[in-house]
Parts: sequence; structure tokens; C-alpha cells
Amino acid sequence: MKMVWKILLFLVMTAVIIGAFVTASPMNPAISVGSPDAYRIFYFHVPQAWVASLSFLVAMFYSIRYLQTRRMAFDIRAAVANRLGLFFAVIATVTGSIFAKMTWGEFWNWSEIREVSIFLLMVIYGAYFALRSAVADPDKRASLSAVTSILFAMAAIFLIFVLPRMYAEFSQHPSDSVVDEEGQITMGRTVALIFFSSLAAFTALYVWMYRLTIRVDETGHNRTPEGD
Amino acid sequence: MLKLEVKNLAKRFGPRKVFAEISFSLETGQSLAVTGPNGSGKTTLIKTILGLAAPSRGEIALFRDEKKLEFDAYYKEAFLIAPYMNLYDTLTGRENLLFLSRLGGLAATDEAMEAALDRVGLAGRGKDLVGGYSSGMKQRLKYAAALIKKPAAVFLDEPTSNLDEAGKGIVFSLIKEWKKTALVVIATNEKEEATLAERSLELGR
Amino acid sequence: MPSGALNWVGSVLAVTAKDIRSEFRTRYALNAILMFALVTLTVISFGLGLLNPSKEILAALFWIILFFAAMSGLAHAFVREEESGTSLVLKLSCPGTVVFFGKMIFNLILLGVLAILIVPLFIILLKIIPADWGIFLLALIPGIIGLAGATTIVAAVVSQATVKGALFTVLSFPVLLPLLVAVIEITEVAFLGGTWAEIKAPLQLLIAYDVVMTTLSVMLFDFVWRQ
Repeated sequence: MKMVWKILLFLVMTAVIIGAFVTASPMNPAISVGSPDAYRIFYFHVPQAWVASLSFLVAMFYSIRYLQTRRMAFDIRAAVANRLGLFFAVIATVTGSIFAKMTWGEFWNWSEIREVSIFLLMVIYGAYFALRSAVADPDKRASLSAVTSILFAMAAIFLIFVLPRMYAEFSQHPSDSVVDEEGQITMGRTVALIFFSSLAAFTALYVWMYRLTIRVDETGHNRTPEGD
Repeated sequence: MLKLEVKNLAKRFGPRKVFAEISFSLETGQSLAVTGPNGSGKTTLIKTILGLAAPSRGEIALFRDEKKLEFDAYYKEAFLIAPYMNLYDTLTGRENLLFLSRLGGLAATDEAMEAALDRVGLAGRGKDLVGGYSSGMKQRLKYAAALIKKPAAVFLDEPTSNLDEAGKGIVFSLIKEWKKTALVVIATNEKEEATLAERSLELGR
Repeated sequence: MPSGALNWVGSVLAVTAKDIRSEFRTRYALNAILMFALVTLTVISFGLGLLNPSKEILAALFWIILFFAAMSGLAHAFVREEESGTSLVLKLSCPGTVVFFGKMIFNLILLGVLAILIVPLFIILLKIIPADWGIFLLALIPGIIGLAGATTIVAAVVSQATVKGALFTVLSFPVLLPLLVAVIEITEVAFLGGTWAEIKAPLQLLIAYDVVMTTLSVMLFDFVWRQ
């Protein structure tokens, strides 16, 4: 990542943090309950959850690429994406729990589809690393974890169909906090500006962390030359 | 006529080079001894040629009458006898032979199984569980399975391990027969076994 | 081609028959599965004996027993091949799909035996009779087919791992979750009594899961089986 991007990211992130606290609360009293100030966490919680899910797709993509080509570089990418995904899933869960406590009075609620989903995402990431640490041979580890990743991804697709039907009547998450049913953005202009800046900043931060981790891992790996 | 072609084969485990630049071609009626000290990669080479381990570099191809075979055809043509390949302890000798032949698609007849067991000196022991066999008897049973399969490519890794003098004699005579009808690869440390093959390939450390 | 297909089926059944014969002599898997199911069932019925659990809870408990019992024994089929050094014989004697389906049918038979034993006991001990047996079987049969299909590939993965431990359960849970959600939903309807319209959506999902997961497992199997 070029220097200019790092500076830009720093500026945007700073602006988001300041903006999140000095502007009016993003809460829409018509559809939400609880403390308006607590609602400011929305600017950070949603982008974290988004990055955690994005990472799952990246991991899935590189798992398939690995099986196609058997190139270790793709295995490293898949593993890094899973690692960062786990990291962001954990912080999204923590911020989400605080948010839930402030607005609904409970840290955890099993009847909440999004809480269940992020929990499952963590279970999947956890299972992935349980497998990786259980296989000693690098080539074997790469193909076994790629296969498992793909199985998990398929199961996740099924869950996307299963869970909403089960939880349709329970969910307290406002489904129209970002876009409404017609796909129109429902937020006010200031809120939208801060939210989408934050989304962009978190995505850029993710890309930076991702590339950095890959470089570190590949350096470690290159001390052990690999045929390709 | 079966032909095995290996080109520029190399295998590494992480930082460690196991072998590199292995090339040879072998046809029905030809035999190759792979020799070298412990850890020189004899077993890895055999596993790689059989598609049980991925090569780091290089190509392996099998031709029948100049026609290239699908990778999957290996299991129809080849048979491996090695210390790390075991038969089923929970089945009897005959059940093992029958199972292997059914996997190949054609159940062996009783006569064929008896003849094979007889040939390797296990006559009368076919109805015992393999779990109760001695290690030498288990090794003999693998040769009986090979006799039933009649492979066009025979891969032997330490062909006489666990065998007594009589067992070695049986194996040597079998190898001499296979050299006429199949291509034979023998990985061994024993000089006597290596000289059974016409050509040899020495792996360095 | 027909004779090729016939050979293929013959080889698949040879793998299943071999596993059944070995299982019959050693009873590694069956003992573990049945004992696990019995113990769990007993603990649950003791624990719930004085309470009056709702039929929804019983539907979930039924599948929890089945899931964990399956976890205790279904990995054996592959792990044993790997540990006794016999997997090379299979790898060098037949295509991967033969092994996959042979093992999957074997696991299906194990689960069938388990279901035949556990269903009457569950009915007796927990005092519940499915209001609609047809719907109950529509949960049970596709349920154990999906369970067998998905656990076969996971068992193959686990058998290759250096450390096995609880890996089978850890990896199976995320894969099986959609199946469990769907079968529990159908079983609830079967226990409570309900219309076919109520189970239409979960049943469609269950059958889609069986087909998609089994196909995917077959496609991925060679990557696990031939390193």
C-alpha cells in the first residue's frame, strides 16, 4: 500500500471517529428504541460485520483457486483471509453485544438472527483453524483446509435460506437501517456520509492488513522454498 | 504393451529436496531397480509415480500400445507390494483376495484363489483371519493378491521384507515371471534383489 | 457401458460388504454409536422424567441424540483404513467414487440400525408418539441420508489429520447445521400433528441439502483421497 493511501486512510478514519461523536445520533426514533448515543456504535459495528463476511468470501475464493492450481500462495491467502475474518468477527460480536445491552438490555439473544449468524461465522472460522493445527504436512493441510472451507461455504449458503425463515418473526435488527425495500438509502445525508466513509475505511484497512499479513507469511514460507 | 514414462520428476518436502531430475522410461518386459541409502526417497518416488503423492515438478505418463492412458487407469494396471500397504486384519486371507478382485470388477474364482495361495506357500491358511498371520505370512498374502490381479505394472518396495529363505525364493521366482509379462520396478537396499532388474537408478542422499 | 456401470456398482457394494463384515467381527463403530445413543437417551429421560417437556423440545432432543451418537462412530470407517495402513489398497484398486459411495452406504446402514433401535426407545422412555408417522419418516429418512453423505467426506478429511481428537464433531457441526434445523422443524410438525403444507419448505430444503451436499462431497473427495 502506497504512502498516500495510508495517509488518506488515517484521515478518513479520524474523520469518521470524530464525525461519529459530534454529529447527531444516527438513531431513527421511528423504528428503533434505546439510548440515541449508544446508537453511534452503528458506525463501527456494521462495517466490522461487513468485513468479517467479506473475508469469508475471500477465503472461499482462494480455497477454490488452491484446489485448481495446487499453488501454496493461494493456501496462504485463504488462511490469512480466515484469520482476519475471525478477528473482525470477534470484534463485531463484542461491539454488537455492547450495542445489544444498551438498546435491548441483554448482551446476547439467541432469537436474533444476526447474532446467531455471526456466532456461526466464528464457529466456522474456529473449526477451520482447529483443522489447520491438526495437520502437520503443509501440502495435506492446504488441500484438506480448502476442501473443508468449501463444505462450510455450501453449508453457509443453506443457512442463509434456513435462518431468516425461522427468525423472521423475532428479529429486532432494523432491516431497513441501510436500505429500504425499494433499495433506496434510508439514512439522512450526514449519517450516510459518515457510514459509507466508515465502510470504505474499514474495507481499506482490511485490504491493508490482508496484504501485510500475506507478506509476513510468505516471507516465513520462502525460507522454505516451494516448487510450483 | 505397457509403457511408463517419467520426465524430470522432482519432489520437495518444504525446504528439503527429496529427489530431482528423475527421468526414465520403462516398457513391458523391462525392469528397474531403484537403490539408495535410507532417506534417499525410494518410497517417495514410488508413491509419486503411483499418484499417491503429488510431484513438485515433472510428468508421469502411462501408455498402452502408444495410447496415453487416463490417470485413473493406474489402478487397473498397477499393483504395489510395500511394507506400508497392508491387507485387512479383520478379513480372512481368502476374503482379502476376493475383496480386492471385486474392487477391480471381477470376482476371483475359488480355484484361482487356491492356486495363488498355494503358490505363495499359504495353502490351507486361506480361511484364517489375517490378524492371526505372522508378518511373513502377510507379506506372502500380498503376493497372492498380485497373482490374482495379474498386473501389467508391478511396483515392489522392499520386496522380501519379513520373509524367510523359502519366502524369498518364491518372490524371486515370481519377479522372474513378471519380468516377462509386465514392467517391474523394485525399490531395495539388498544387492541380490537389485540385480534381479536389468537397469538401475541410484538415488543420492 | 452398462457392464461398466454394473462393475462400478459391484465394486461399491464390495466396499460396503467388506466394511459390514469387519464391523460384524469387531463392532468398533456400532458399539460406540449404540452405547452413546443409549447413554444420552437414558440421561435425558432421567433428567426430564419429572418435567413435562414440550413436543418441540423433544423433537430437538431426538436429533441431538442422533447427531452425537453419529459423531461417536461414523468416523471409524475412514480412520480405521488410515490407521491400519489399508487405505493404499483401496487407493490403488479402484476409483475414489467407489470408496466414497461404499463408505457412505455403510454409514447409512449404521445410522439405519441406530434409528431402528432408538426410535422405539425414545417413544417408550419419553412418552411421545409421532402424531403423523408419514411426516416423521419424511424427516428421518432424508435426514439420515444427509447425515451419512456429509459425515463421509468430513470423516475422510479427519482421517488424514495428524491429530484427530474431537475434530470430527468440530468440523461436522457447521456442515450439518442446516440439515439439523430442517429436520427438527419437520419432526416438530410430526410430533404435534400438522398439515403437509407446513413441512413443504423445510422438506424441500432438506432434499436440496441431501442432493447438493452429496454431489459436492463426491466432487471434493478425490482432493482428500489422493494427495
